[in-house]
Amino acid sequence: MWHGKGKTAIVGIGYSELVRQSTRPLGLLALDACREAIADAGLSPQQIDGLATYPEAPFLGAGTRDGVDIVSVAWIINHLALASDVRWYAQIETGMIAAPVIEGAHALMAGACDYVLIWRALHQPRNYGAFSGARAAGDAQFLAPWGCVGVIQSHAMAWRRYMHDYGATREHLGTFVVNSRRNANLNPRAFFYTKPMTRDDYFAARMIAEPFCLFDCDVPVEGCVALVMTRAERARDLRRPPAYIAGHGQNTVSRRSLLFYTLDDYVANGQSLANKLWSSAGLGPADMDAAQLYDGFSPSTLYWLEAAGFCKRGEAYAFVQDGRIALEGEIPVNTFGGSLSEGRLHGMGHIAEAVFQVTGRAERRQVPDAAAVCAIDGSPMMRGSGIVVTRDP
Amino acid sequence: MAAAMKSEKPVPVADQLSQPLWDAAKERRLVVQRCAECGYYNHPPRPACDRCSSQRLEFAPVSGRGTIYTFTVMHQPSVAGFEGEVPYINIVVELEEQAMLFMVSNLPHAELDQIRIGGRVEVWFEERGPGLVLAQFRPV
Repeated sequence: MWHGKGKTAIVGIGYSELVRQSTRPLGLLALDACREAIADAGLSPQQIDGLATYPEAPFLGAGTRDGVDIVSVAWIINHLALASDVRWYAQIETGMIAAPVIEGAHALMAGACDYVLIWRALHQPRNYGAFSGARAAGDAQFLAPWGCVGVIQSHAMAWRRYMHDYGATREHLGTFVVNSRRNANLNPRAFFYTKPMTRDDYFAARMIAEPFCLFDCDVPVEGCVALVMTRAERARDLRRPPAYIAGHGQNTVSRRSLLFYTLDDYVANGQSLANKLWSSAGLGPADMDAAQLYDGFSPSTLYWLEAAGFCKRGEAYAFVQDGRIALEGEIPVNTFGGSLSEGRLHGMGHIAEAVFQVTGRAERRQVPDAAAVCAIDGSPMMRGSGIVVTRDP
Repeated sequence: MAAAMKSEKPVPVADQLSQPLWDAAKERRLVVQRCAECGYYNHPPRPACDRCSSQRLEFAPVSGRGTIYTFTVMHQPSVAGFEGEVPYINIVVELEEQAMLFMVSNLPHAELDQIRIGGRVEVWFEERGPGLVLAQFRPV
């Protein structure tokens, strides 16, 4: 078990507005979220002496303008009046936003800093995800000339294979998507807060990359979510109940180079993260009161249910039927609506909701007596990270 | 708004590793990088064998036969040159020489009903432009 279990905690959360296109540059949305997280923790910006982020804009053709396309550590230091001498920072290149949270815990335990601010800022330009390169180099030379280059196509093809191998249908997946929307309708921050979705709505949605329709893809939003972390002793004196970090795991498996991910990849890679997550926390899927599992595309959550051991391989499509994963069900999943319905916050919404659940702040989505919740970021095939947060250290 | 231009499909950039594969395609031959040490086929071609890390790599002919592993139908005009073909099909072919040895292909949309996972396919070569020949696959 991790010697750091329960020694650090998330003590504040802040959200900017989540919209399709903001009239304000991303940097200002980040300042909104960061200031709110710091105030939520009962701190002032001058007390923040540690910073971390995962800045990458996760789509083809993304720009790199600081304060517009991304928000770097340097940008926050320059625009938010933090501690006059920031002592620690980390700008993580891979592993999703849970990776800086893990690094922040290590830094706090090492005494490198006292209060860590972490944010995930997402920009949405008008047109994105388009491959317009006239020349396709590297692995793309074996994909782009055939028009097969997007992440969505890779995921759609993996799910098609899953359907074939296990007998899953669009109906099964639709149950999960509709459940996520139902939860989002109880989440005032969600993009689709005021928009219910029926099964008919799901099947009427336009196809994007068959068998994926529009609602199988996370809803792109512009915005920022931030959190503050500190050591457990300090956490107890602050404004909100702490969400203790009980364990962490990252996908570190090496995989052979294929043109795209296979279902074998999602199991092996997902287990690389999940095995470490559970052993570090000394907990398992049966101990979770809720699970926030990444849903960049709808099947990703099903793959996580299998890879993380909530059900057996090939069974997730049946597992999510009959209300088992609903708010009042046996294991509530993505209680905030997920990236699918809250907004594509690239895993930060999953961490925030895990914190809200174990600190009794989940409002109408509150799972009664929630004491342990996991938040796993990233599709199982790819480099990702996860944490378990608990009500008690 | 930019004037509507017919954009070209992406042109593959052959590199040191992949050049033999593109040269063979011009001669209507399908080859795949193969490890001389352990016999493993690597695609895309790699600097070292994915299975045994050996650097003794060469290109070996393959039969061009395989089966459909999976497929999708793309409805977004996100890839330059394919805007006019939406919706279009991509299939993933598993070559018969080795499990999980994959290549992608297009198929005419009119044939969507005939696609079966596990269905047999064979290679053919599309001449897309002067000096540019791509391997495609069609059902047999």
